[in-house]
Amino acid sequence: MTTISERAVSRRNRVDWWRWAGRLFLVLVLGFTVMPMIWMIITSLKTGFAAMQYPPQWWPASPTLENYTRLLDPSGRIGQDFLHYFWNSLWVSTITTVLAVVVAVPAAYAFSRFRFPGRNFLFFAVLLRNMFPAVVFLVPLFILMKALGLVNTHGSLILTYLTFGLPLAIWLLKGFYDNIPIQLEQAARIDGATRFQAFIFVVMPLSTPGIIATSIYSFIGAWNEYIYAYTFLTKQSQMTLPVGIQRFFSENATDWPGLMAATFIMSVPVVVLFLVLQKYFVQALTEGAVKH
Amino acid sequence: MSSSQGQAIFRDVPATVRKEANFGQRVYNSRFDYLYVAPALLVMLIVIAYPVYYTIDLSFFKTPASLSLANKTFTGLDNYVTVLTSAIFWKVTWQTIIWTVLSTLFSFLIGLGAALALHRAFIGRALLRGLLLIPWVVSAVAASYVWKWLYHSDFGVIGALLNQVGLADGPVNLIDNTTTSLYALIVVNVWKEFSFAMIMLMAGLQTVPESLLRAAQVDGASAWQRFWHVTVPQLQGVSTVTILLLVVQNFNSFIIPFIMTGGGPVGSTQIWITHIYELAFLRQNWGVGAAYAVLLFLIMMVLGYFYVRALTRGDDKRAGA
Repeated sequence: MTTISERAVSRRNRVDWWRWAGRLFLVLVLGFTVMPMIWMIITSLKTGFAAMQYPPQWWPASPTLENYTRLLDPSGRIGQDFLHYFWNSLWVSTITTVLAVVVAVPAAYAFSRFRFPGRNFLFFAVLLRNMFPAVVFLVPLFILMKALGLVNTHGSLILTYLTFGLPLAIWLLKGFYDNIPIQLEQAARIDGATRFQAFIFVVMPLSTPGIIATSIYSFIGAWNEYIYAYTFLTKQSQMTLPVGIQRFFSENATDWPGLMAATFIMSVPVVVLFLVLQKYFVQALTEGAVKH
Repeated sequence: MSSSQGQAIFRDVPATVRKEANFGQRVYNSRFDYLYVAPALLVMLIVIAYPVYYTIDLSFFKTPASLSLANKTFTGLDNYVTVLTSAIFWKVTWQTIIWTVLSTLFSFLIGLGAALALHRAFIGRALLRGLLLIPWVVSAVAASYVWKWLYHSDFGVIGALLNQVGLADGPVNLIDNTTTSLYALIVVNVWKEFSFAMIMLMAGLQTVPESLLRAAQVDGASAWQRFWHVTVPQLQGVSTVTILLLVVQNFNSFIIPFIMTGGGPVGSTQIWITHIYELAFLRQNWGVGAAYAVLLFLIMMVLGYFYVRALTRGDDKRAGA
């Protein structure tokens, strides 16, 4: 009797120990994660002078929103540039996302459902896209974009971004389609729907979470891309945020508070988008990609 | 599209029928299937096939700095010899290995720990998960600038904190010296991508059958034994994919070293990709850069083989097959 209860107690203790270790670990990881973000925000509320002090002001002595108003003020030069970059990023990312969904959905569906010759080869080829680093493609793609007349247009970026969103998008969506019972489509076909109709009206609605996840992924990828934007665009009016920010920094090398405000504003759209829709992303990974 | 002969719907029948037809016949029979994948393939073909061909071609020639292809001269394997015999090759390769291995290892371990700790439901879990995922979502350019500011040798908060707690006395210089710069950048990289491992492993954990864990518990398995003998084997598939993706991504990293240090000081944070960039764009040494790129393709192909194998595991066992 005593031994059993002792063992039960000790086991419970051990479980508690693991749980506490987990909590401690989470606290540490959370600190590691948020410390840079907090310091970014604190710095962005300082004046240039206040940021350059040692020891640093842990909390700005006279917090100011001046850095933000300067970036977002459409009448100033910096504000005009910054809003322009912001708009360019938004435009490029949105178009990329829409096109990525339009292209990825049918492809993923076909890879999941049809067994056509070369299917495996093509699927692998698609997946392998992301094995190639952007840098080694810069020269040939630049030449290609020149030949297509797309240099210094957003078209060059959209075309390029499309391809690195696609592999994961197709993979995620394929996992989704694999889990949708084929009997649903068969029932629709028996009721007289064509294969395409069955796909549009039966399968598409069921894969909405996958499509949302795919969209988030493409949008974030396009929003954050730097290397191609840096190479393909030389006109300032076309630049997207990552390149614009870098330009801003090279001109104002010591304006750390301004730079931190700029990175903050740049991060807001993707972070908000992701936080609002993260459950779809997690669900898509869980149900589609990871489950076998 | 609507006129397809329905061979996809009752596919167990045509599967055998199609086996008897010859290849051209089978391609013809599935011609409508290709319409679904055509847009994706077309885009991929333009943006991948041509650059790969171009890079391989370039690697066998000496091309003038102006990149005028009319004036290139064939040099055989010279560029490859130059790569492999250059003094900096092994230094850069070694740094790339350190960068890739340590970044992957720590991202995976921290990600695994966080995933396990977040697996049990508690109040605020979604919020916490969201916060931890922010670094993965923000742009690497933004992250690089923020960390550059944190590491700043005169006004950086990290140096100030270390001084505050007495671990350092005077200015702390982490990214501007050759001994610590690479490791300082690895910290940034881990910060940026551990949550990718976390989210993948969280997804993986949800597929571990609860009944199996219960059964093990009833049989008297300790928490550690349940983790090691039930959870870990179940996570093997997703772990393989995650680690491979991390390795590929780290091997191909560019933005963090490029923005934070530009490969310096004295080449101490130079990894393959930044080195290729330097060779091609700063020194217009196109042929040697391309030779590096081709070697990189070969490495990626080997990794890619394992990646595809891990990803498509069980693909053909599924009901749809």
